[in-house]
Amino acid sequence: MSWAAVARKDFHDAVQSRTIWALSGFFILLAIGLTYAYAEVPLLSGGQGTIGGLVFFLAGIVGTFVAVTTVVLCYRSIAGEAELGSMKLLLSLPHSRSDVLLGKVVGRTGVLALPLSIGLGIGLAMGILLIGRGSVQPAIVFLLWTFVFALAYVSIIVGLSALTGSTTRAAALSIGFFLLFEFLWDAVPFVVLFVVSGFSFPTSQPDWYPLLGQLSPSDAYVSGLTALLPDVARGTGQPIPGSGVDAFYADPAAGIVILFAWLCIPLAIGYTAFSRADL
Amino acid sequence: MAAIQLDGVTKRYGSITALQNVDLTVESGEIFGFLGPNGAGKSTTIDILLDFVRPTTGSATVLGHDAQAESVTVRSKTGVLPDGYHVYDRLTGRQHVEFAVNSKDGDERPIELLERVGIADAADRRAGDYSKGMTQRLVLAMALAGAPELLILDEPSTGLDPNGAREMRDIIREEADRGATIFFSSHILEQVEAVCDRVGILNDGQVVAVDTIGGLRTALKTDSRLDVTLESPDDGAIDVVEAVDGVSTAVREGAVISIAVTREAKVDAVRAIDEAGYSIVDLTTEESSLEELFAAFTGDGEETSQPDTQIAASEVAE
Repeated sequence: MSWAAVARKDFHDAVQSRTIWALSGFFILLAIGLTYAYAEVPLLSGGQGTIGGLVFFLAGIVGTFVAVTTVVLCYRSIAGEAELGSMKLLLSLPHSRSDVLLGKVVGRTGVLALPLSIGLGIGLAMGILLIGRGSVQPAIVFLLWTFVFALAYVSIIVGLSALTGSTTRAAALSIGFFLLFEFLWDAVPFVVLFVVSGFSFPTSQPDWYPLLGQLSPSDAYVSGLTALLPDVARGTGQPIPGSGVDAFYADPAAGIVILFAWLCIPLAIGYTAFSRADL
Repeated sequence: MAAIQLDGVTKRYGSITALQNVDLTVESGEIFGFLGPNGAGKSTTIDILLDFVRPTTGSATVLGHDAQAESVTVRSKTGVLPDGYHVYDRLTGRQHVEFAVNSKDGDERPIELLERVGIADAADRRAGDYSKGMTQRLVLAMALAGAPELLILDEPSTGLDPNGAREMRDIIREEADRGATIFFSSHILEQVEAVCDRVGILNDGQVVAVDTIGGLRTALKTDSRLDVTLESPDDGAIDVVEAVDGVSTAVREGAVISIAVTREAKVDAVRAIDEAGYSIVDLTTEESSLEELFAAFTGDGEETSQPDTQIAASEVAE
């Protein structure tokens, strides 16, 4: 349980970051404000607001908030300690390098879980009171899946941070990841399709095309949520990724698999580099 | 069982060799001082013991465990005050020590350890606001957590005032009395001679001496030997040179007069022979090797020991 000691220490340290609390305050206000708007403005909810509808309405801002905040919260988590020298203090104690990575991921996810719990907790409770109809089950599934998403995002950025002993390089990797997968990802499938079609646009979509769009962590998060709440998604007119394509992976559940891959693979790669590194 | 054992450890960073075939044994229960000038490779050696860096060749064993394969076990029995560390600025002193105690499965109360190193009154202040000396005390408190079998202290008196350095030595002695092995590095001889049972000297990545302080002291007091070759054998020169302050004995063998002399008196001895009218055709001088090492380690080695010969020779030439 050595990672638990690291996680506790890291939580106490990172939770004191003012930048994180500025971002979190903004998110909490936004979550509450948007919930109020959804419940009270018929235009947003299509006249018939439900808890399920609110869940998908909030999922979009959660995706952006988690991505931005995690980059800020985690890009220095390993590289920064290695560069500054606190890693020597940490590894003077009997922690393996895998314990350090695991403890970091758990500790920082704990920090991220605070604003998510506060913002979404208040938002959903308010939504339930204001809308006053429908099952609360979508709200609970949404919260739990959001924590999995936060855990996956933290392990991606911690994994990237573990690739290098330089804060500058870690920042470049994390920001590059964010730009590619969160900012440009809508365009990436188009570009890939254009290139593999011999620099021209094909008349029909290949089967893998919708899957490509689900590959970014926050797209996988929304698509996974669609898979976990299929009835709610259909009821609210949520686009179902892969519908109309006849392939085994053309299913919103691919989002769940993709998110779990994000949870494991970058961290495993980061661990390989970190375990070999000289401090 | 040896507390620390290094066998043929070499560490290269690219084309730079930080450690060259280092063999070293630290016995269980002793206070071992690891001396050497800055950049000699002391921290690299310690980094290898803690698996912060991996040796290019050779192996290290700490408390009977392989330093690489069983590093967590090694560190669970070892308290470390590393070099070039940084504390967590936002955490308090108490939180730091709490983390160390939790990590080591210790049973101390953090405040007891902070009392021992003399910063209990700053327990709830953020470590980022500590002075260098207080930070050093804090990390020492973390090292003491869990009553380790071995303490590895890298330049422990860095940032401490003379009073703090004395308290550090007291704690080192207390830990040794408890039965712990102490391995600490320093680049200042005076700091280790007060507490160490044995000393190892590292220079330019190589272990150049391992001895007791007594052995080193004896070596330090040993006179230099000065061999003066005269144009023709002459016993009269012996009387002349023996009259010089600092010369203990002089014997002649053929045309060579071997003089046992302190370092300071070498020039005087040569000058006395020269002024008495004996013509000198050659002279060589030999220092005790440990003295040379210490001169090197205090930073003026190459400049003082070897050029002595040249200074003497040039004065003779005048």
